[in-house]
Amino acid sequence: MSSLQPRPALGEPVRYTFPKPTRIKVGSGTVVAVDLPGQPYAAVRLIHPAGAINEAHEHMGVAILVGESLEDGVDGNSSLAPALERYGAEWVGRVGWDSFITGVDAPARRLKDAVSLLAEAVRTPALRSDDIVRRRDQLVERFRLENSVASTLASRAVGSQLFTGRYAVPPSGGDVYQQRLTPEIARSFHADNIASVAGTLVIVGDLTGVNLEELGAAVFGDAAPTPQRHTAAPGAAPGERPRIVILDRPGSVQSAFVLAHRAPARSEVDLPRVEGMSDVLGGMFTSRLNLELREKHGYTYGVGSRFDLRRDSGVFVISTQVNAPTTAHSITVTLEQIAELQRKGVTESELQAVRESHTLGLPVAYASAGRMAWALIEMVVYDLPEDHVDRMRAGYEQLTAEDLNRSAREHLHPDDAVVVVAGDAASLRGPLEEIGFGPVSVQDPDTLWG
Amino acid sequence: MTSNGAARQISQYRLDNGLRLITAPAATGQVAAVNLWYGVGSRHEVPGRTGFAHLFEHLMFEGSGNVPKGEHFKVIEALGGELNASTSSDRTNYYETVPEPALDLALWLEADRLATLRDGVTQEVLDNQRDVVKNERRQRYDNQPYGTAFERILAHAYPEGHPYHHPTIGSMADLDAADLDYVLSFHKAHYGPDNLVLTVVSSLEPEDVRERVARYFGGIPARETVATAPDASLEGPIGSKSLVVEEQVPAPAVFVVHRVPPYGTREFDVMNLASAVLGQGQGSRLYRRLVVERGLANDDGGASSDLFDFRYTQSLFFISMIARDGVSGEELETAVFEETAALADGIGEDELERARAVLERDHFQSISTPAGLANTLSSYTQLFDDPELVYTWPERWASITADEVVDYAKRLLTPENRFSLRYEVATSEAAEKAEA
Repeated sequence: MSSLQPRPALGEPVRYTFPKPTRIKVGSGTVVAVDLPGQPYAAVRLIHPAGAINEAHEHMGVAILVGESLEDGVDGNSSLAPALERYGAEWVGRVGWDSFITGVDAPARRLKDAVSLLAEAVRTPALRSDDIVRRRDQLVERFRLENSVASTLASRAVGSQLFTGRYAVPPSGGDVYQQRLTPEIARSFHADNIASVAGTLVIVGDLTGVNLEELGAAVFGDAAPTPQRHTAAPGAAPGERPRIVILDRPGSVQSAFVLAHRAPARSEVDLPRVEGMSDVLGGMFTSRLNLELREKHGYTYGVGSRFDLRRDSGVFVISTQVNAPTTAHSITVTLEQIAELQRKGVTESELQAVRESHTLGLPVAYASAGRMAWALIEMVVYDLPEDHVDRMRAGYEQLTAEDLNRSAREHLHPDDAVVVVAGDAASLRGPLEEIGFGPVSVQDPDTLWG
Repeated sequence: MTSNGAARQISQYRLDNGLRLITAPAATGQVAAVNLWYGVGSRHEVPGRTGFAHLFEHLMFEGSGNVPKGEHFKVIEALGGELNASTSSDRTNYYETVPEPALDLALWLEADRLATLRDGVTQEVLDNQRDVVKNERRQRYDNQPYGTAFERILAHAYPEGHPYHHPTIGSMADLDAADLDYVLSFHKAHYGPDNLVLTVVSSLEPEDVRERVARYFGGIPARETVATAPDASLEGPIGSKSLVVEEQVPAPAVFVVHRVPPYGTREFDVMNLASAVLGQGQGSRLYRRLVVERGLANDDGGASSDLFDFRYTQSLFFISMIARDGVSGEELETAVFEETAALADGIGEDELERARAVLERDHFQSISTPAGLANTLSSYTQLFDDPELVYTWPERWASITADEVVDYAKRLLTPENRFSLRYEVATSEAAEKAEA
């Protein structure tokens, strides 16, 4: 027989305080840095407010094309990665709706060399026509390849069901808009939005002996100050809501579905209340949706919910992949769980889980240079104060059940939702009509962004 | 936030019941990364019981003697911790990163399921997790373009009955056949402290961690009988094999494997460098020749080659590429064969240096987080009984010469030691055509 100890009590929690970043102006740019002594890898990120939402309508996808083309480096012909590899560094690029991020992850001792390569790559890339065309054609084909994955297809279609304008098309511009882009358009976008704009440089890592001013000067050069960006709330897509759209994928043994509706802009919501509520519904492994659809019914490998909150608007999504014959019932169960949360509210234990996971868990959330850098990026992109993480912690500490309940009533709108299902239309249509959620239509995925 | 700035301070202990404990300092403060590698994986499965080690991994989260179903996840998530598990051919890995004050609780949860899992598993739980795993299989294999490639590769690279002949996910039929009695016997056979490496990365003193681990795990007896794995020995080449599959995929694709020596051997390290020269990074040959110059393959960012690192049998040198529009699978396959064969004609010092840099970068990046460091320490201890390798591993590549890489490429990357799997876009009813 084994001799087991009784269950231990939790040790005394230690309050986590997000490190106060060093912030210095260098030329027209700003360096935001956090020193993590002993951290062997440093994360360097350069932020430009040149995300997909700022693209001209006729040039949709150009930001992502430029982001990819930077990897061809100052000599063209995909020369950047091999140059970084010599320093044990790796390129980081991410173009989102609201930001254009470039950067490197590099050994702390090679930081200066890696930042120098970053500066060259961003400010003076070759951007040769042959390279841009190659990258563009690859993006077009990759978009089609990725659409063959059911979950990707369903997620990408959501924008076209909820919005008009830029958000109706995926950030890459899809295959249709992307293939209209020319090298001249790409070079022009780069010159106007990236090369000539200083941006903000985030550096997290062991900064022992690092001269931040020098690094900033290498990256910013004589670039102009970063302009203020103004965006407006997008219009709603036409069509009855709620409704179900099936993207036909004959023979699928699983259905990927996304239930989505519009949400407010990031600045218009109280994040702990909104995201805490989503955690209870579908944001955690122990969320209601996961416990129902996975742990009780065995319909799925996993389900999640989240708010995608942007500068000018937002989206709430629940997404999962379920065994095909259970599709209709899975949607019914999902709707029931939303209704139950709105009707009865959260339990005390759910409130506690949300509160503690976002307070006690902060050291885990920021346990690497990379993660801390992304937190700083968020602060820069959304004009948040540098004690944002601590304010969020305070918000979660004060959270009440009524806060979450009110949030569920105010921010969950299944009556205004669209459910996009990527699956076998022939077998799904009848059962989906029977659940009475709304009209059911079938669409050929190839016609989505035509 | 605190940081001790320490590095290269690994402590090792072995409890009387055989448990091996490794401790190391974390580069960020206030967290404890707990990582457990049990020496059981799908190589221990027998025909008719495939998928069991992985199904069992799911059951480990479903309740034990003193922890109700769902409680393990609930407790760690409520602390803001991160947890999960994975199963491979060679091992089963459980891990959680928690705020440091929760270390005792995490250790207790792990100890409880090691000691008392058999008191908590029910038929209902088994049935539920069987359905979950079947959905995992649908999601990752059956409803995914090219999702069955890995399964087909193992089936052809290792002979029928060999313990690496099947993937960890197992077959639907075998999952359906799993029964509760076998669950209980599997736990008894494989889950003992003598089959466990436990690593804690934190800012606590090593002795402190040792005392805590001894408190929770010290009373758990070693297994009465040490389970043996089926014989995985294998000699010689794959043979010259190929398979063409017609499926509803978006474009033709090519998957090629060659058998190479086991993980941990110098020969494996040599082939690791060969793999980096050939297909890792945008400076690699496959990327430069087939993506950039010839426009035959889809841009994967320079991730077309890798090694499946099997410790207890021959590993696999693996290449995969997807064809561009207008490029046939056959044309791409021929091009991949040509580039692979060209390694035997020689490689440059600059290519080798780049390959070393890529592998070193990947290694050091993987150990730059508390969780990554803990996982790598567990790995090297479980597989090689040497956690110090975490800091010396890249040195293995330093002494390998270009001539050595070329020599092994000549011997191992040959048509006689190759299985090639090609996906073609189905034009009619899906059909398989085996060649040779």
